[in-house]
Amino acid sequence: MIAGLMLAITAGSLVGIQTIFNSKVSERAGSWATTALVLGLGFAASLVLGLLFEGKGMFVLHDMQLWYWFSGVIGVGVVISLVNGIRLLGPTLGVSIMLSSQLGFALLWDSFGWLGLEKVPFTPAKLLGVLIIVGGIVLFKWSGGRQAAKSAETTEFAEST
Amino acid sequence: MKGSLFALLAGAFITLQGVANSRISQDIGTWQAAALTQLTGFVMALLILLVVRDGRWQAFRQVKPIYLTGGAFAAVIIFGNVTAIHHMGVTFTISAVLIAQLCLTFWIDARGWFGLEKRRIRLPQLIGIGMMVAGVVILKL
Repeated sequence: MIAGLMLAITAGSLVGIQTIFNSKVSERAGSWATTALVLGLGFAASLVLGLLFEGKGMFVLHDMQLWYWFSGVIGVGVVISLVNGIRLLGPTLGVSIMLSSQLGFALLWDSFGWLGLEKVPFTPAKLLGVLIIVGGIVLFKWSGGRQAAKSAETTEFAEST
Repeated sequence: MKGSLFALLAGAFITLQGVANSRISQDIGTWQAAALTQLTGFVMALLILLVVRDGRWQAFRQVKPIYLTGGAFAAVIIFGNVTAIHHMGVTFTISAVLIAQLCLTFWIDARGWFGLEKRRIRLPQLIGIGMMVAGVVILKL
């Protein structure tokens, strides 16, 4: 539990910094060149770390299923929908909806255990928790001020979690 | 309306990405899953670049080199995300990731780091963060 929480917090903090960095690149190079760079570097870093921790085992891919080869498509879906959502709605509304949707789908996923993931039973308390988090996100985003297009929270997300 | 649909989809895709990575890592390992999904995503992005002809590679040179390194963080991000999902489930993991992310960018905004315009901390924002943390505690009750 504590280990998982620490990992999640580390991941979230890195996403925050990465988002700022990526948006600086994206301002100049456009979203697709940025996405290609980000994913290419992410691949290289994963390869190096994997080799470091697992040596040759890094190249042992047993139990590969066909769709695993196409999972990268999801990342492309993220970029297309995010860029368009923010373009049409602006960062405050766009990001608020995106974050809420992320949590909503997470709850659905846990409750149904789709894709063979361990089921985490649904309880009304979970729904309440998610709704309060969403409320917090909306309050946070709306009170942040809309004028600051260059701020960290509102920058275009070109991330790769 | 169309915008909301895009934003809704974006959230769904981001969650799906975390879940898919977790699923794949169960079979082939976490670093392998991180490398594989990013390699295939990279190839897709390159193909799209060829089609939309939006490649401004020269523009990379106008960006401070440190900002170009953001992608490398993803290795640790995916590892953390996937391992946390295995430990605590999708909802709790994504909530914790989001809160950490929002708090850090909030702090960076307030300090004006990375050449960002400094912004004042407003009380409702702190209340918002408090609500998010309260929500996570309720999730675990």
